[in-house]
Amino acid sequence: MNLNWLDAFLITGLFSVFMVIGLALLLHLQMGLARIANFGVVGFWGLGMYVYGVLYVQVDWPFDDPWRFLLSALAGVVAAGISGLLVGWLIADLDEDGVLLGTFGFATIVWILATTETALTKGALGLGGLQFPYRLGNAKQNEALWLLILIVVVALIMLYVWRVHRSPYGRLLVAVGGNEPLAQSLGKPAFRTKLGVFTVGAAGMGLLGVMYGVLERFLETSNLGVDLTLAAVVGLVVGGTARLWGPVVGVALTVGLFDIVIQSYIPLPKSWYGQAIPVLREMVFGAVLIGILLFRPLGILGDMRRDKLMRSMHGE
Amino acid sequence: MSDLQNSAPAARPEIRVEGAVKSFSGRVVVDVDELVLGDQPIEGLIGPNGAGKTTLMRMIMHSTPLDRGRISMHPDGPGGEEIVLSDLPTFAMAGRGLVKSNQVIMDFDRLTIWDSLLFAVAGARCERPYRVFAEHDLFDAHEDEIRGYLAYFGFTDPMGFAQSAGEKKLLDIVRCLLLKPRFLMLDEPTAGLPDELTEKVMDKIRELAAAGTAVVIVEHDLNVIWSLCDQVHFMAEGSVILRGTSEEIRAHKTVVEKYLGEGHV
Repeated sequence: MNLNWLDAFLITGLFSVFMVIGLALLLHLQMGLARIANFGVVGFWGLGMYVYGVLYVQVDWPFDDPWRFLLSALAGVVAAGISGLLVGWLIADLDEDGVLLGTFGFATIVWILATTETALTKGALGLGGLQFPYRLGNAKQNEALWLLILIVVVALIMLYVWRVHRSPYGRLLVAVGGNEPLAQSLGKPAFRTKLGVFTVGAAGMGLLGVMYGVLERFLETSNLGVDLTLAAVVGLVVGGTARLWGPVVGVALTVGLFDIVIQSYIPLPKSWYGQAIPVLREMVFGAVLIGILLFRPLGILGDMRRDKLMRSMHGE
Repeated sequence: MSDLQNSAPAARPEIRVEGAVKSFSGRVVVDVDELVLGDQPIEGLIGPNGAGKTTLMRMIMHSTPLDRGRISMHPDGPGGEEIVLSDLPTFAMAGRGLVKSNQVIMDFDRLTIWDSLLFAVAGARCERPYRVFAEHDLFDAHEDEIRGYLAYFGFTDPMGFAQSAGEKKLLDIVRCLLLKPRFLMLDEPTAGLPDELTEKVMDKIRELAAAGTAVVIVEHDLNVIWSLCDQVHFMAEGSVILRGTSEEIRAHKTVVEKYLGEGHV
């Protein structure tokens, strides 16, 4: 297949856009429906990525890919899920500030561990030796296929979220997020519900971390800063936290516009490409977040419309 | 209605409150030595503002924890199985047949009326994260029952959101009824409702009680209490100080002094 139009930069850019859409969709379940603000997205994502990377590289596996990859990846997803369960257990009954600080603190712990546990992670030097679980002809073809697989995974996440909106489970999340005491008085276990959505979301974030690790094939602790959380949160808030399409619209307009359109097609000074652009990106994202919260706090798509949804599902 | 009344009522459940104390900031709000609820089909709990009625109900639901004491329920009447309510989390009450409506208006701001009612009837099994195709089964199983309530109370736009305070109050009651309670506690169920709807709510309560549900009502509209209740508990300063029939309570000197006033008829 002719892949000349697809350069390495575009692959990474598209991968990053779809990955952040996936993270924002998972965040939408937690923050948009169940109203648990998770500011530790990068922690779950990074834990998945590093558990996978360390196991893949440091363990003397008796077999090769795809089993070596599958088992390491599964361990990454499970570790992220278990961390979500534990963090969720600690924060589920806290107020919003407590939840924000608790999740942010968790992400910081993951970053510090990845930096200091050099025997396992190689710390700031970075962990190399990762590979795609398949070998097509050249690197570009491998990367293009991996991007395609990621798009399928994100589409499946979106399909799941779409179904959640149309299911009793989605209603439970919205109810627990909206009025926890009332939901409890109707016999709904609010704490367990929040723990569940936090665990499932964290596991999903871990999976996306594993997939990013495979694409990069080199794990750097610099990825574990707040940038990724900020990208997912800003994308979600810009699009609309409560809407299924919120993450897609929001991330396309923020990460998509900045990482692909501006960086690829706007002639920015060459000297900016080292330090300046990432800082500029965070400044722009921060400013967009403030602007949206001031002028359109429910995001571009606005609040959820259960009345329309119910009519479309059950008539009248 | 006739079906429910013709079915033989099961033994009525009973709630026992023993030595239950609750203080806020050092002030004792509830101190009930011994109280049995559920002796009669419909019981009233009255008393002046600040008497501790709502707090006592919240203590029974364990949404307000007790400082000390014990609250238990016998779902099959005295002598049957005992459930210690004060050891259970709030969400476990509905599953055991104990349901309470809310004094202040409580609603889910992003759920429509239909949503809210389907939410009330949905069992834990269909609300699991992987049951993302369960909506139509749930709807089909409960459509007739919910439509029955919606038609009976006449909601304006059931696919939309509850519009008025009255609709939200009614919605709260219908959610409770859909849970098919064995023991129902209603905290000011008719506050803010027009007379016609108050009558409809009262009829539903009578119907439920006739079918074997124990009902306890806290209400300031004393006409509701006198016309509905087989037994009335009078509460003042955190304690239940009197118990009797409507006639006995409304004529009692203490109740007249502390609550009704001399001019009450």
